[in-house]
Parts: sequence; structure tokens; C-alpha cells
Amino acid sequence: MSSLLLIFSPIVLSLFVYFITRNSGYAKYIALALFGWMLFESITLYMQLPQTGYMLLGEFLDVKAFDFKLVLQVDRLSVIMLLLTSVLLILVTLSSWSMKNQAAYFALLIFFSGAIFGVFMSTNFLWFFIFWELTLIPMYFLVGVWGAEGRVYAAIKFFLYTHVASMFILLAFFLIYKQSGTFDMTMIKEAVLVTPTLIWWLLFIGFAVKMPLFPFHTWLPDAHVQAPAPVSVLLAGVLLKMGAYAMIRMVILMLPLEAQKYAWVILILGLLSLLYAGFMALYETHVKKMVAYSSISHMGLVAIAISAMSFESLSAGVYEMIGHAFIISPLFLIAGFFHHKTGSWQMGDMGGIMQKSPYVSAIFVLAGLGALGLPATMGFIGELTILISSIERFGTWLIIILLGSMLSAAYLIWTFRRVIYGEMSELVMKTEFSMSKVEFLSLMIFAILIVLFGIYPQPLFDMINQVFSGYVIGGAL
Amino acid sequence: MNTQITALLLLPFIGAIVTFVVGKYKKSLAFWFAEIIGITLFVLSFSIFMSWHEPLNFDFQWFTFGATTLPFGIYIDHLSLVMLLIATGLGALDIHFSHDYMAEEKDQARYYSKILFFIGGMILLVSAKELTGLFVGWEFMGLASYLLISFWHQNSAPADAGVAAFLYTKFGDIFLFAAIGLLIYYTGTLDMVKLNQPEINGSISTNIIYVIAVFIFIAAIGKSGQFPLFPWLMRAMEGPTTVSALIHGATMVNSGIYIVARLFDFYVAANALIVVASIAALSAFIGATSALVQDEMKKVLAYSTMSHLSLAFMGLGASSLAVGMTHLVNHAIFKALLFLSVGAVIMSTHHTKDVWKLGGLSHKLTLVALFMGMGILSLSGVPPFSGYFSKDAVLASALLNPQTHGFLSTLTIIAGVLSIAYGGRLWTLIFGGRVRDREIYEKATTPSLFWISLPLGIMAVSTLVLGFYHEKVINFIANQEYIEPHADWLLLFMMSAISLLALLVYYFYRRRYSLREKVSAQPFMKTIRQVLLNGYYIEVMITWFAKNIMVYSVAKSINWSEKHIIDGLVNGMVSLSHKIFILFEKTQSPKVSNQSGTMLLGVVLIVMIIFIGSVL
Amino acid sequence: MSAFVVLFASALFSFAIRGVLIQKAFAFSALVVAGSLVILGYTTPLSGFGSNTIISFFELIVFIVFGAVVLSEDETINITQSLFIASASLLLLESKTILTFVISFEALSIISFILVSNIKNATQAEGALKMFISGAIATGLIVLGLSLYTIEGHSLNEAISMKAGLFGTLGLWIILVGLFYKLTIVPMHGWAADSYAQVRPSHAAVLSGVAKTVVVIALFYTFSPFILENLSFNSPIFLVLSVVTMTIGNVLALFQKKIGRILSYSSIAHAGYMLLPFAVLESSFASTGLLYMAIAYIFMQTALFLLLDKLSNGNSDMTLEQFKGLATKQKLSALFFTVQLFSLAGIPLLGGFISKAILVYAVVDVNLTVVALIVLLNSALSVGYYAWIIKHIYFDGVSGENKITQVAIMPLLAQTILLLGTLYFGIFAYSVFSVTI
Repeated sequence: MSSLLLIFSPIVLSLFVYFITRNSGYAKYIALALFGWMLFESITLYMQLPQTGYMLLGEFLDVKAFDFKLVLQVDRLSVIMLLLTSVLLILVTLSSWSMKNQAAYFALLIFFSGAIFGVFMSTNFLWFFIFWELTLIPMYFLVGVWGAEGRVYAAIKFFLYTHVASMFILLAFFLIYKQSGTFDMTMIKEAVLVTPTLIWWLLFIGFAVKMPLFPFHTWLPDAHVQAPAPVSVLLAGVLLKMGAYAMIRMVILMLPLEAQKYAWVILILGLLSLLYAGFMALYETHVKKMVAYSSISHMGLVAIAISAMSFESLSAGVYEMIGHAFIISPLFLIAGFFHHKTGSWQMGDMGGIMQKSPYVSAIFVLAGLGALGLPATMGFIGELTILISSIERFGTWLIIILLGSMLSAAYLIWTFRRVIYGEMSELVMKTEFSMSKVEFLSLMIFAILIVLFGIYPQPLFDMINQVFSGYVIGGAL
Repeated sequence: MNTQITALLLLPFIGAIVTFVVGKYKKSLAFWFAEIIGITLFVLSFSIFMSWHEPLNFDFQWFTFGATTLPFGIYIDHLSLVMLLIATGLGALDIHFSHDYMAEEKDQARYYSKILFFIGGMILLVSAKELTGLFVGWEFMGLASYLLISFWHQNSAPADAGVAAFLYTKFGDIFLFAAIGLLIYYTGTLDMVKLNQPEINGSISTNIIYVIAVFIFIAAIGKSGQFPLFPWLMRAMEGPTTVSALIHGATMVNSGIYIVARLFDFYVAANALIVVASIAALSAFIGATSALVQDEMKKVLAYSTMSHLSLAFMGLGASSLAVGMTHLVNHAIFKALLFLSVGAVIMSTHHTKDVWKLGGLSHKLTLVALFMGMGILSLSGVPPFSGYFSKDAVLASALLNPQTHGFLSTLTIIAGVLSIAYGGRLWTLIFGGRVRDREIYEKATTPSLFWISLPLGIMAVSTLVLGFYHEKVINFIANQEYIEPHADWLLLFMMSAISLLALLVYYFYRRRYSLREKVSAQPFMKTIRQVLLNGYYIEVMITWFAKNIMVYSVAKSINWSEKHIIDGLVNGMVSLSHKIFILFEKTQSPKVSNQSGTMLLGVVLIVMIIFIGSVL
Repeated sequence: MSAFVVLFASALFSFAIRGVLIQKAFAFSALVVAGSLVILGYTTPLSGFGSNTIISFFELIVFIVFGAVVLSEDETINITQSLFIASASLLLLESKTILTFVISFEALSIISFILVSNIKNATQAEGALKMFISGAIATGLIVLGLSLYTIEGHSLNEAISMKAGLFGTLGLWIILVGLFYKLTIVPMHGWAADSYAQVRPSHAAVLSGVAKTVVVIALFYTFSPFILENLSFNSPIFLVLSVVTMTIGNVLALFQKKIGRILSYSSIAHAGYMLLPFAVLESSFASTGLLYMAIAYIFMQTALFLLLDKLSNGNSDMTLEQFKGLATKQKLSALFFTVQLFSLAGIPLLGGFISKAILVYAVVDVNLTVVALIVLLNSALSVGYYAWIIKHIYFDGVSGENKITQVAIMPLLAQTILLLGTLYFGIFAYSVFSVTI
């Protein structure tokens, strides 16, 4: 029952927060307490997990005629996602400490938390889809209400684009039900399906938009740029991961034969994302857009790892997902902070911020170094493991993914030069860079996590390895 | 694991953090913490050196992903020890020197913290057993150099120099990264000791290990500033001179040579030493010739670093591991000495770097002039300084090796003997002759005996003493009885010729100033001077390529396609739907007659369909 | 004593009642009594009428919605009309033969005309007139169809004959086309786009929300034997009509400036969705899908028009511009409006999603994957204009020419009932499934 509460209590609570707290400032404490509880519950779930397979938490609302029931089940992969999500939610709450219009903002955040937990906990396709779509609603408002000047365009584009993609997913689910008679994703046998290829492609396109893979990525830079910085963190850290999670779970593990047949498609799109977005970031002069493209570029790396479909590569992919969340989040937060203070997005208007705000700038540099894959950060471990495992699978030509690493070095270092280092621009000179302690605390936690799991990644890998232990290429989990 | 080694590995990193925190609390404490840690590190290295008799090997696992485990071993043999001693010894002296040199700097905590991090990276690099561990240290060096070169980040030039340093070396690094991937794929091991063994490197095809060896060498080119990735080395002069001493003498640039030395048998198996030798010869020539015309003191030394590292590479390339490494060791000491001496000059002349503004300083900076003179002599290869023995051995090896004999050895010898020309020129212009700028001369301060002259003296004495013990050094590095190759007559002959020439030139420079003007006014000479001054325009070319091809062609066109094709299609959907909307709106008439008409039309259509349907 | 008698009698009696509140209470209790009678299993005691669980279930839903309508109304005449329409709806739903079906349908139409004839201004008059003229044509068509049908000798006073010949088929199809007028299927939709947008929104709520769904349910259960008889021929026609209707409705809703007009085109689009089950009758999900769609739709569409009526104070010309900043002025109304819009858009956890999902699944069930994709993409397209309305409600500041009126407590109560309906059927799907399958 507490599993049901994890999903629905936030959804109900969000209404109360919206109507009752009335910007009195309690909203953030309620949110923090809720997310803390969710983290605690996630840890408890992790402790209780069996060695392999799913743990059933409950079945509700059974509609037998349509196999439409809310089945809450978790396995290691979903609990890892739950842990990541709840940690990020806490950090996002901290970094939204001084957000305006708090009641509504935190109500949406709380609503989002319920929906996202639903995504990771439900194994019935229809309910999965319900929560999947439900996450769009708070995001739509968060971008549309709290966003920057082009927020309306970005919010509607994000909503429509991802909604259209969801339609493909829904159709695929229906085809699966038609052909196998069940909506239970743990029960699907690929051999039963009549048109696995069609289903694979529908699912792939649907999830590729969310991940996002080239050429379905264009909603992301707009949404990221216009969203307030903490919401960008949610987008990059949670929403994109949702896409990658679904990609692993449904495109790879559920349809292994098809996935093997079309692994090259994921691989090519992943490579294209990596390089294309890298070049986009190289030319970009808009700070947050640069970070957004860097985010796409790194998700390309995740896609490459996923496409290799081996025990190693899937572990590497999940690690990189987590690493990406921790690395890209502070970049977004700080890019947003710079914009908030200077009022400009352009790198040309900035410069020398290090002199004004050394610690925040240092964390920006640290996270950037993580993004370009410097050792002792999570980015390096991710890149190294993905390189090794994908070469193992596809052959040595895949060392070209290091070109992406060179590109990210180029655009990030050059961004540091233009934004952080050098002489102070006039704009920076007259700007006061002050950050609240709570917001800085969240940045610090991100920085510590990046370095900690970069030096000592074993605890994370212990968790991840168990997810895929015994996995063989082309097999189901 | 041995506590000494644990301390050696961890102390610099912990120290970097502690120094920063303490330094933020009280500025002056930063130096003392750094000094103590620096000395401790040297003591630790030295005690390991004293008790060392066989390679120390510790195996650890870093992490397991999937079924693959990446090890992170520590392996300390004679090569590592030599590098450790240089890094920690020169590092400690450098920190000591910094007390005065960086006295005016406000941000002491940041400076010393980064310096310790730098030394720590080097220690990690040379103690690593696997390429992964080495790569971590390797990248730490890249990061530390980036941070230190752009230490004065509030100015544009150092910030730009940092960018250059990071990107040039990063370009090399991705090849090392690729090599790691390839090695795991082909051999399944990253253990550098194993890679040297024939059963590993003999098990895969020669072409593949050739490619891997070249990849690793590209990384070495980047780190050690060889052709064509050297421009960052000269840009790096924007950093504090102490940092230059550390980068160019004690740590970073040596790592490229170290990695080739470490994988020497691998290179032999790959037949890749000729690549090393070729690049080395070319770089040595470029460096030595460019050093001749530089106006800035530090740039002379920078090009000389490039040239001398090439000599060390040449030693390796000519199949003489010990010779190359010995030259590296000797170079590290005298180059650190030279940099710090120049640093002392810069400090006492209040940040004058242009060599033409100085002159006659030997009266004021007698000790510095003496020590720097010793450094120059060692650099030039004058016996009995240590530089002489190793340089001589390198040139001899190049001559004796049939692969390098000929063009490559000629280039190398030219480079080797030119060092006396630019070294002498540098010393003479700073200390000798007349005073060119009275004001600077008058204001020049005398450096402190303890903080400045003492470290210089230690290094000067070392470079002299090592000359006397050169056989012991090379035996230790070779880890066996080793007979140096010699080419005494040639080098001595060439050197005396060059010295005579230099004296002649100097004479004309001083006596016939107009002649110099005339010579340099010649278009041909002018062109040569410009080419040399700009390091053969390599940087211009690379920058042009990066800027115009990568950014303004590739990235720009991709940006265009994003805007107009990929996102254009998405946004095009909106205008398309608007067009359809307008089209459809025409069907929607507000007139009742039209509405009724459409209804009836619908009826007619249905009736027709039913008729046709039932007839068919 | 049947529900119809109760409703009809109380409608007649309510003329005598003065005072809106008393009338509301009276009408509400009449609906409650009628509802209980339906639950107890009383059907209209006339030949040609009958009921089953599905019909009874839907009748209850209709009564609940009418309860909300009655709560929300503030003119006595409208409340009386609502009771009349409720009784006519009951008849239509329970009719078993063609004759009773047509008579009940006409009764419903006539009361609708009377309802919209409560005119306040010229715009509303135009809307009412258009509806009336189109309705007249439709009635003519139905009569024409009936006569063609009887030519073959079929009796009107029994259920639809399975053995219709050419004239019979033709007649029945012409009747269908006439009925499509009420369903606003292309090409019989022209009037609806104007009328729904021009008559008073509360009237539009009854017309587009209640009347349409009642007709479609009755139509489905009366005509499905005929359609099923020759499905391979009928199905493509329905498919084409359905897809064309939803596409035209959705596209035309995209760039409208008046909220009423957007909602009326959205209503047309939904008519398209509701026509889908007719094309995929062989799927066991067709009837469930239709019933679900009708239930979800009746809640969301009625709620939106009713709320629009209150916000615009009965004015049908409310533009998006005037809607700006609703969220800052009236948090609760804005939320009600938004949730119902999301339901229309097919966002999950709301009735609109599950109903659409089952409809689309019915299409997938008969292996019309491409059609399913078209329907889904249509639904995704519709998000464009719903999101656009929401943008005005939440993202924009209060506009200068703000004419939004404060919504009183009673209408909010009505909205709460409707919202609960939307939410309930968005989560507890088995209630509908248990009735149909």
C-alpha cells in the first residue's frame, strides 16, 4: 500500500500545496520532506529487493477484460532510477529555494515526483503510459510559467513534440496487447509477437524523442533554455533518463532479437547525436544552449552504450546516465544563475565571472571537466567504460567516439574562457553575484557526487552490475 | 601497500585540499603547508630510492563494470624512481623559490594547492602500473597545467594560454584514450610491464601494435610539446615562471618521454621507434632554430625545452632507452635551474621579459648570473656538466643507429650544437654587455639569498655533480652496467666552431650595431627571422584549421542545418498546419444556404455510394 | 411509475415554481428520484421501449450531468428545459424500434430548439436559426429515409430489419445521414461550428455535451445490427467519415481566436472519434469504447461550456485574449477548466484518455493499424489548441480588457461534480467495463 502512496500521495498533496500554502514559504519544506521520504522509501525498496527479478508491491484497479491494472513492481533497474530521481528531486528543491510563486511551483514539482515514480514502478504498459504522459503536464507548466522570454514557444513545442512521440509508443503497446494478450511488460515474449519489427520501430521512435536522439532532439534545446534552471535539471536528470530507461527496458531487453537486428540504427543515431550536438555546442554562444547540446551529446554516448547490448555496455550506459544527471545539472544551474544575475545569455557579454563569484565558477569548471571526461569525475568512468564495451561489440572503429570527447573539451574549455576567465566584461563588473546558501549547498552536493563516484565508482557499479548480471547479448534479462 | 608509497601517492592530493582550506583561513600558512608537504614528498621518494632494490608491485582493482574489472596497480621500478626524484626534488625547490616569487600574489592558497596537485599528478603518473592509472595522472597533469598556466585568469593572455595548453594536450590525450581501448580489445591487459613482454605484444599483428604505438606517441607529442603540437609550450610562458619551471623542467613535459620509455620494448616490437626518432629530429631542429631569435627570455627557454625533449626522444628513438632517459633527467635539472634563474631576473627587474631591455645585470645579480651560467653550460653540453655527457650520448646513438644515421642524425646534431648559440645569446644579453635600459637596471633588486639563490645553487651544483657521476646515473637508469656511446670529437669540434661563430656574431652585435640592422633588414633574412620567431607558423596553421575549418565551416554548417532543416521541419509543421487550416476554413461558410447545401451534397454522395456499392 | 414520467411531470410542474433556488432543489430531487427509479430497474412502460444495464448505466450518468447543469443554471426557464431534455433523452435511450427512436429524436430536437430560442442578442439568434434550419433539413431527410425504408414493406414499429434491400439500405443510410446532423459529422457539421459557438454557452453545453452523446449511444444500439449486417461495405464509409470529421474538426480548431469556437470544433472532432466504433463493430471493444467515450465526453464537454458560460456571463463571444490571466484571478475555475481541457486532449488519469485509448484499441483490434495511427496523431494534434488555451489561462498576465466574471459557489459545485466524474472515469475504468463486458 505504501507503494501506492508513493505515487498518489504526491499527486493529491500537490493540490493541497497549491491551494493551501498560498506562497507562505511552507511549500518548499513540504516538498523537501516529501522527497526525503521518497528517498527513504526508495532505499528501503533497494534493501528489500530479491537477488534477481521483480518484487511485486501490489496490484490495483484490475480491469480483467482489458488487462488494465495498476501493477506496481520494481527490479534493480527501476530502483536505481527511483534513487536517482529522489536524490535529484531533493537537490532540485534546494536549488529552487528562492523561486518565485512557490506554492504553485512546488505543487507542480510534487505532482511530477508522483508521476515519475509511477513511471518507474508500474509494469503494466497502460499505466506506464499514463504516468509517462502525466510527467508532461507539470513540465509544461514549469517551463511555460517560470520560463524565460521564449517560454511559451518552448513549452508548447516540448509538450506537442513529446506527446506526438508518445502516440507511437501507445500504438506499439496496443499492438503488443493485440498480439500477446497482455499489457504486462514482464510477461512479453518476443516470439509470440506477430509484428515485432513494427513494434520495435514504434517504441524506438517514441523513446528516441525523449532521450533525445538526433534528429528528434530539437525540442530539447528550446525547452532547456527557456526552463528555469532547476527545471532544466529535472528535464536533463529525470525526463531524459526516463527515455533511456524505457529504451533499455523495452527496446533492448524486451525485444532482444529485433534490437540486435537494428542495433546499428541506435548506434548510428547515438554517434550522430554525439558528434552533431558536439558541433552544435561548439558553435553556440548561448551559455545554456551550449549546455543543452552538450547534454544531447552525452545522451548520444548513452545510446551507443545501449546499442552494444552487452552486460558491460548496459552497465556502462546506466552509469553514464547517472553521471550525466549529476554532471549536467550543476552546469544548467550555474548557467541559469549567470543569466539570472547578468540578464544575458550570451557568452560575449560575460567573462571574468571567476573574479566575482569564484566558488560557483569553480563548480562550473568542475562540472564542465566532468562533462569532458576528465579522470576523477563520473564523466571519465562513463566514457572509458562505454569506449571499452562498445569497441568490444562493434569493433575498433568506434574509437571515433573520442572525437566527441575532443569536441566537448573544445567547447567547454572555450566556454570557460569566455564566461569564467579573462577580463571582466562591463556587464559582469556591475553585476552582483550572490547566491543563497541553500542553492550553493545543492551545487556542492552535485560537485561532491561527481568527484566521489568518479574516484570510487564501485558502489554504483555494484548496484548496476546486479541489474544486468547474467545478461547475454540477444537475451532477455 | 607500503606506507611510504601510500603517503607519497595521497599526500599531495590531501595536501592540496588542506593547503587551500588553510590558505583561505590565513594566507601565509599556505606556503608553509606546501613547503612542508613538498619536502616530505622528496624525503619519501628519497627513502624509497635508498631502500629500493627490485620493482615494487602492488595490484589493486579500481572497479568492475559488467564482468570486466579495471585494475589500478602501483609499480615502482628504476624509471619511476628517477622520475619521482626529479618531480619531488625539483618540485620542493620550486615551492621554496615561490615564497619570494609569488610573495605579491593575493591568492596564495589557490597557487600552492594547484602546485601540489600538479606534483601529485606526476607522482601518480609515474607510479601507475596500468595505462588507466597512467592516464589518470596524465589528465591530472593536463588539468593542473591548464589551471596553473591560466593562474592569472583575470588577464586575457594567460587565460588564452591555458585554453591552448589544455586543447593541444587533450588532442593528444584522446589518442592515448583510444590506445587504451584498442589495447583492452586486442590484448585484454593494460599492464605496462606485460605489454613489454613478447608473449603479449607478439600475439597481435605488427600493424595493430604499430598503430597503437603511434597513437600513444601522439599523446606523448602533445604532452612533451613535439612537432606539431608544441605551440602550447610557448603560450604556457604566460603562467608564473615557477609554473613554467615545473611544467618544463620537473613534471609535465617529461611524461611523454616517460611513457615511451615505459613501453620501450613495446615500441621495439611495434617497429615504431623510427617514428619517434623522425618526429624528434624534426622537433629538435625546429625548437633549436626558433630559440635563436626569440626576444622574450622565457620563450628562448621554451623552444630550448622543446629541442632538448626532442633530444631525449631521439635517444629513445635511436634504441637507447638509458641515454634518452638520462638526458631527460639532466635536462629536467638544468631547465628548472634556467627557468628559475630567469624567474629571479624577472622578479628583480619587475616583470621585464624582453631580453633586449636587459643587459649587464651580472653586476647586480652575481649569484644568479653564476648559477644560470652553469645551467647554460650544462644546456650547451660543456664538460664536465651533466648535460654534456647525456647530449653527447644522444648524438652518438643517433649516429650509430643505422635507422637514424643520416638525415635524422644531422638534424639532431645541428639542434644539439645550436643550444650553445641560443644559450650563450640569452646569458650574454641578460648579464653581459652594456646596460640597455638604465631605468630597469637601476630599479633591479637583489634577490634573497635563502629563498632565491639557495634553490638555484642546489640545482646548479646538482647539474655539475651529476656530470661527475654520469656513469652511475646511466647505470641506474639502465638498471645494469651500461656503456655510453660517445662521439666526443665531433661534438667538441662542432661546438668550438659554433662558439667561435657566436663570438664573431657577438662582436658584430656589440661593435657594429649597424651591421646587424643591415643584415636583419634583408628581405630574405627578415623572412627567416619571422618564420623562426613564429615557430614555423605551426600555431597559425593549427589555429586557422581549428577556427576556419572546424568552427566556421563544419560547426557553422551544422548549425545552419539544425536551424533550417531539422528544426526547420518541426517548425514547418506549424506553418503547414496553418496552411491546411486556411484551406479547410474555406469549406466552412457562415452562410446558412451553404451549410444546407453541403448537407444535401453529403446526402447525394451517400446515396451515390450506396447505389454504386449495391450495384457492384 | 417510470423515470420518464417523473421527469416529464416534474418538468411540467416546474413551470409553476417561482424562485430559482426552489426550482433547482425541485429539479435536482426529480433527477434523484428518476435516477433511483432507473437503478431499481423501471423502464418506460410503453411498447417500443426497453432498457438494459448499459442503457441504465448511461442514463444515470446523464442524470448526474443534468444535476450539474441544473445546479449551474440560474434561469428558471433553462432548468425546466433541462428537465424536458432529460426526459426526452431517456426516451431516446430506451427506444427499441425505429419509430420510437425517430419520435424521441425529434422530441429531443424540438426541445433543443426551444432551449436555444431563449435568445439574448443577435449572435445567439443567428446561432439558433442556423441550428433550426439545419435541423429542419435533417428531419426532412429522416422522413425521406423512413419512407424509403417502408417502401420495402418493413414495419416501423419493430427493431431494424436485417433483410433490407436496396431501398431499405438507402433509406436507413439517409436516416443515418439525417442523424449525423445532430452528431455533427462532416458534411453535416456546418451549423454546429457556428451554433455551438454562437448560442449561449450553457445551451451549447446541453447541445454538444448531452444531446450529442445521448444520440450517439441510442444510434449505436439501434443501428448496430444493420451496420453489422453488411460491415465490409459500411465500415469503410464510417471510417472515412470518422477520420475526415476528426481531422477537419481538429485542424479548424487550431488557429481560432474564440474559445467557444475552439470548443465547438473540438466537439466536431470528438464526433469523429465517436463514429469510429461504428466502423469497427466486430471488435468487442467497440461498444465499450463508445460508451466510455460518451461518458467521458459528456462530463468534460458539458463542464467546459457550463464554466465558459459562467466566466463569460452568458456571452458567447469570449476570446482567448479575454481569457488571459484567469489563473491569477480565479485559481479554482482555472484549474477546473484546465483539467477538463486536458481530459479532452486525452491526457491520462482523466476520462478522456482511457476513452480514447479504448476506442483506438478497438481500431487496432481489427488490424487497422494505420487508421489507429491517424487517430492518435489527430489526438496529438488537438493538444496544440488545448495547450494554447491553457497558455492563455496560466502563462500570460491579466489582460487589460478583462471581462471575466467571478464564478459563484453553485456553479463551482456543479463543476466539482463534473470534475469528479472525469477523474473517476479516468482512474476506475472497471466500472464501465463491468457494464459492457
